[in-house]
Amino acid sequence: MRRDYETIIVGGGVIGSGIAYHLSEVQTEGILVIDKEFPLNGTSGSTQGWVWVQSKTPSWYGELSMFSAELYEYLPRKIGDIEYTRTGGIDPFFTAEERDRALRLAESQSQAGIEMHVLDRDETLALEPALSPKIFGSIHSNLDGTVNPMRLVEQYMRAAKKNGVIYEYANPVINIEKKQGEFIVTAKAGTFSCKKLVLSAGVWTCELGKLLGINIPVYPVRGQIIITEPLAPLLKHTLSSMRQTCNGEILIGYTKETAGFDRRTTLDVIEETANFGAKIVPALAEAKMVRTFAGLRVMPQDEFPIIGGVPGIENLFIAALHSGFTLSPLVGTILTELITEGETSIPIDRCNIARFA
Amino acid sequence: MKKGGLEVDKSTIVCRCEEITVADIENAVAQGAQTFDDVKRLTRSGMGLCQGKTCRTVISELIAQIRGESVAAIPVPHMRMPLRAIPIGILADHFSGGSAMQSLLAESKPDEGQES
Repeated sequence: MRRDYETIIVGGGVIGSGIAYHLSEVQTEGILVIDKEFPLNGTSGSTQGWVWVQSKTPSWYGELSMFSAELYEYLPRKIGDIEYTRTGGIDPFFTAEERDRALRLAESQSQAGIEMHVLDRDETLALEPALSPKIFGSIHSNLDGTVNPMRLVEQYMRAAKKNGVIYEYANPVINIEKKQGEFIVTAKAGTFSCKKLVLSAGVWTCELGKLLGINIPVYPVRGQIIITEPLAPLLKHTLSSMRQTCNGEILIGYTKETAGFDRRTTLDVIEETANFGAKIVPALAEAKMVRTFAGLRVMPQDEFPIIGGVPGIENLFIAALHSGFTLSPLVGTILTELITEGETSIPIDRCNIARFA
Repeated sequence: MKKGGLEVDKSTIVCRCEEITVADIENAVAQGAQTFDDVKRLTRSGMGLCQGKTCRTVISELIAQIRGESVAAIPVPHMRMPLRAIPIGILADHFSGGSAMQSLLAESKPDEGQES
């Protein structure tokens, strides 16, 4: 039996579920989200959950991140508690050369309205006493924060379902065809059809594109993270590479490796991460780590988001991007505008997939 | 909930580290969770100090029972290092290799002279 929908969203992670929820605020019927596993099994469930703006360059990309961070202030009122906290972000550095670089970054970001400041050692330690006294200084921005990734996706799903969105779990899509203005989506268990199709399956979007004969250049980048036991409050800010959750655990890590779809952790990278963690926050050397994990981040070929329609295939939309947690409320909002009105309130031309043609 | 022939109260704690109850597990399964890892991400069960060593089997059994499947059908969760909690300093002191750690500052490309 085939089931008909107005819109099908393939991929139910932070981007897919974010789109589903925002779309369901406007369109109350006929939305299906289909995920090959249970959402959070992929990239969305293996991240620190930063909402990070300060170092996003060039400034048009920083601006998108800032708009999205602003939307986070309202999101909990709509979907419930997501443990979003605008902690402020601190990126410490160790040399005078790095300070020069930081000053140039702060200058160009500030011109785009992204406010950040370069602090010296004492100013930094006054804000974040846990940092090593060996740092030279830091960049600080009030725009940065963190969200609980698990809670966010769960709340998106709950709110979307409440608005009538249907979810299909553990049902990988194996074929997609476009026939007479309709997409026929064949999954492992069931065939579905729709007028409008959204591909938002993170690093797996590339494979979905192939089914429709389009090249979506995203590849997986592995990131490994250390989790400590719950600690007394130690970090007030989100640091570059580290944050403390409201349960007390500290998550440490910001690594990038090309390892295909291999999600194992490796001792060398974990040692390096431990080293780094103890270098910027000395008290961490005494803290116990209880676990490590690795996730596959989405990396478009030029590292910038792929968002929008697809030239030549009407009613097909793609949202495949890095920094899904930072950008999720914004992507949900603009994709909803694009799907329901055909245009967006802020320009997203730079994000169009046509740039790779 | 019947378990092993005994009635189990919904308020019974199955994950001691995070104080997750039978009702929490039922709720997660009702939302679509099918595996220990799915339940873990929704409830935090298994994310505590013991890393699921106490609750893993019990929760897998509960999932199987609620879903009407055999325990063998519930996938085994990933185990990752360290198997026992260890101080970060022990690992930090030993490293002398290349670098996969990224610096956010080094990645940024200020606009300088380019169109923005």
